[in-house]
Amino acid sequence: MPVKETHLTNAVYEQLRQAMAADPAGFTALYQDYLADARETLSILRESVQARHIENVRAKAHYLRSGSLVLGAADVARGAAMLEEAAIAGDSGSFEVLLEKIEMAVNATQAELSERLESGAPPADETAV
Amino acid sequence: MAVNPIRVVIADDHPVVRVGLRNMLLVDPVIEVVGEARDGVEALEMARKLDPDVLLLDLAMPNVAGMDALREMTGSSLHTRTVVLTGLIDKRQVLEALQLGARGVVLKDAIVEHLTACIHAVMQGQYWLDGHPVQNLVQVLRDLATQTAPPPRRTFGLTARELEVVNLITEGCTNKDIAKAFGISEETVKRHLTNVFNKLGVGNRLELALFALNHNLMTEAESK
Repeated sequence: MPVKETHLTNAVYEQLRQAMAADPAGFTALYQDYLADARETLSILRESVQARHIENVRAKAHYLRSGSLVLGAADVARGAAMLEEAAIAGDSGSFEVLLEKIEMAVNATQAELSERLESGAPPADETAV
Repeated sequence: MAVNPIRVVIADDHPVVRVGLRNMLLVDPVIEVVGEARDGVEALEMARKLDPDVLLLDLAMPNVAGMDALREMTGSSLHTRTVVLTGLIDKRQVLEALQLGARGVVLKDAIVEHLTACIHAVMQGQYWLDGHPVQNLVQVLRDLATQTAPPPRRTFGLTARELEVVNLITEGCTNKDIAKAFGISEETVKRHLTNVFNKLGVGNRLELALFALNHNLMTEAESK
C-alpha cells in the first residue's frame, strides 16, 4: 500500500534510506533520534515561551527548522519557520498556536514514520510533551 | 586509476543533521567525511588540523557562528573550500559569505538534490549558487550587491519583511493572502501590520496604502 507523502519529503527519506541500506537499524535510530530531539526542542520552546525569552524561541525554532529540513520533515520545518518569523516580529501572541501546530506536525510525522520504518517509531503518546 | 577522495568536514550544531549529512554523502564513493564539528570553534580547529578539501558550514552555530568562522578562515592559509549550508536564502548573507570566500551555498531542504554536485563543482574550481554551478561570479556578486544595497530613499525604519507586507497591502491583499504568500500565520501578519502602523503613524490599511503611495514605499518593497 503506498504511503501518503503528507508530512515527509519522499526524496529525502528515500535517499537516506538507500544510503543507509546496509544499516537499517541505524536508519531507524536516526529518525527516532530526530523525533526525540524535536520533542525535547518543543519542550524547551514551551519553557522559553512561558519565560518570555523571545530570542531563545527564535534560536530554538531555527534549530528545529534546520534539522527538520535536512531529514525531510517538511511539516515540522514549516511550523518551525512560522514560529521563527513570529519571534523575529515580536509576535508572542502567536507562539502558543504555533507550538500546537508544530506538535501536531511532529505527531503526524511520527505516525507516518511508524508506517514507513520496519521497526516503527514509538507511539505518539509515549513521548508526547 | 585510483581517484583521490574528496575529504569533507561537516560543521553543524544539530547532531541529527550531522548524521543525516554523513549518510547522504556515503552514496558518493569519492567523498569521505573525515570530521564532524559541533560549533564554529570546532570547525576552525578541524579545518586547521585535518586540512579537508571541503568544509560544509552551517551559518547558525553556537560559540563562533558560521560567518565568523568563515571570516577567520579567510585570513588563514588553508586551501579548504567552504560550502555554506543555510535554511533560507538571505541575499545579504549569501553576498557576505561569497565575499568571505565561500565557494557554494546550499539550502538545507535541497541537500539531497544538490550537495554532492555542489561538492564536485567546487572541487573543480567552480562556485555553486541557487542549485547550479555559477558561470559568471562577477555578475552574481554585482547582482547581489545591487539587490542588497541600502535603499536610496527613506523606508521609515521598516524591515524588509514589513516593506513586503506593505507592498501586498497596497495590492489589496488580505491578511490571509499575505500569510499564505509568506508561509507565516495571520497573527504574525497582524503583528507586522501593527509594527508598520506604529512606525508610520497610520491608523488603518487605507491610510497605510496612501502613505505608501505618497512615499513610494511599494517601489522600495519591490526592489528588495
